[in-house]
Amino acid sequence: MKNTVSGNFPAAARIGIGGPVGSGKTALIERLIPALEGRGIGVAVVTNDLVTREDAERLKASGLINPNKVRAVETGACPHTAIREDPTLNIQAADELVNLFPRTGIVIIESGGDNLASTFSLDLVDYWLFVIDAAGGDDIPRKKGPGIVRSDLLVINKTDLAPYVGSDLEQMKVDAIEVRGDRPIVLTNCASGDGIEAIIDHLSQSVLFDA
Amino acid sequence: MSKTPSILPALQHSDSFFPSGAVSFSWGMETLVTESHVPDAEAVEKFIRAQLTERWASFDRSIISAAFVASKDLVDLRKLDSIVECQTLSHEMRDGSHRCGLAMLRVHEELGTPLAKEYRGCVTRSEACGNLAVMQGFLWANSDVAKNEIWALSAHTLCVGILGAAMRLGCIGHVHSQRILAALHHTIEGLIQKPPLPLERLHAFTPVSEIAMMRHETIDSRLFAN
Repeated sequence: MKNTVSGNFPAAARIGIGGPVGSGKTALIERLIPALEGRGIGVAVVTNDLVTREDAERLKASGLINPNKVRAVETGACPHTAIREDPTLNIQAADELVNLFPRTGIVIIESGGDNLASTFSLDLVDYWLFVIDAAGGDDIPRKKGPGIVRSDLLVINKTDLAPYVGSDLEQMKVDAIEVRGDRPIVLTNCASGDGIEAIIDHLSQSVLFDA
Repeated sequence: MSKTPSILPALQHSDSFFPSGAVSFSWGMETLVTESHVPDAEAVEKFIRAQLTERWASFDRSIISAAFVASKDLVDLRKLDSIVECQTLSHEMRDGSHRCGLAMLRVHEELGTPLAKEYRGCVTRSEACGNLAVMQGFLWANSDVAKNEIWALSAHTLCVGILGAAMRLGCIGHVHSQRILAALHHTIEGLIQKPPLPLERLHAFTPVSEIAMMRHETIDSRLFAN
């Protein structure tokens, strides 16, 4: 884990969440916050809105998290750059949050909505999720891309919408397993909360260790 | 045996590949483009030339030079940092200078650059701000960048940062940006022929960009931090 915090608290894990626009990254975070807090893990969030502060403001107004634990970082129209080639401002924002709230167990860094080619710098995060959704088309896993192939955890969200848009969810899963090998996949419906505990279990095993 | 002077450290720090956070800052350009004050390549070139002549040459350059000389003296560096802080008017300009300076400082701390960790400690304890011009002179000196290259390096990174923002805002293309950069070389070369101003004569007058950054503070729809 990246950060050294003064005091006796363990360093906070840094989790990246990437994925295309509208795949449900912010909705996923809204589900993860209470689930993590329920296990006694303090959460802080850095958002990378593309043009507005919409995601940051949505989380601040959600009532799920102390608004001071949410920071928005502008990416200058380069969402890839801000999480990969030059993640310095995201690192800075995460450092500030951990220094202000030393009991933070996880800092979630939400990428700006992007395409399938985004990846996170391993100097920025300890673990990263890539979120796609059933309504975006069932051919997405077959298209591969580094987000789908190389993320630590692939989340296929909005499973409830699959029948309404003609997406073959089972085929999505088969294709994802084929391109990812042993790397895990979780199917979620953030509207109902299905699959959220499975994600928390993966985070617990991979980066929280003692949660 | 002394090291042979090399241009390679300067190339490393002038490259946009070097992580400095600069991609998130437009230094007033976003407001000016959004409000149609900077509509085309000619206006972009004029804007950058004004930044070079009316702020960089008469202010930043002297600070960078002084920080280069004071690169082993944390007390003097903090004094320079205070001077920049006191003479920078708009909030977003100060904030941008802090965030870019700190981004640079943190990367250099991780690279093991001498005194980077100690100065970051000063910033963490609120004993210094980490303004960009001070960090440039200080960290470049401690990274073996040659003194005669720091001015061109600083001016180049300023131009490239604003040109990159203008390109992403859609008012110039990739060829235009290179044309403008080449045209600005003549201006930069002329400016660095003269010795930098002594600290007691520092001054800057760039009201268009300062006001643009002030107006930017209340803009909801934004790509850049200033």
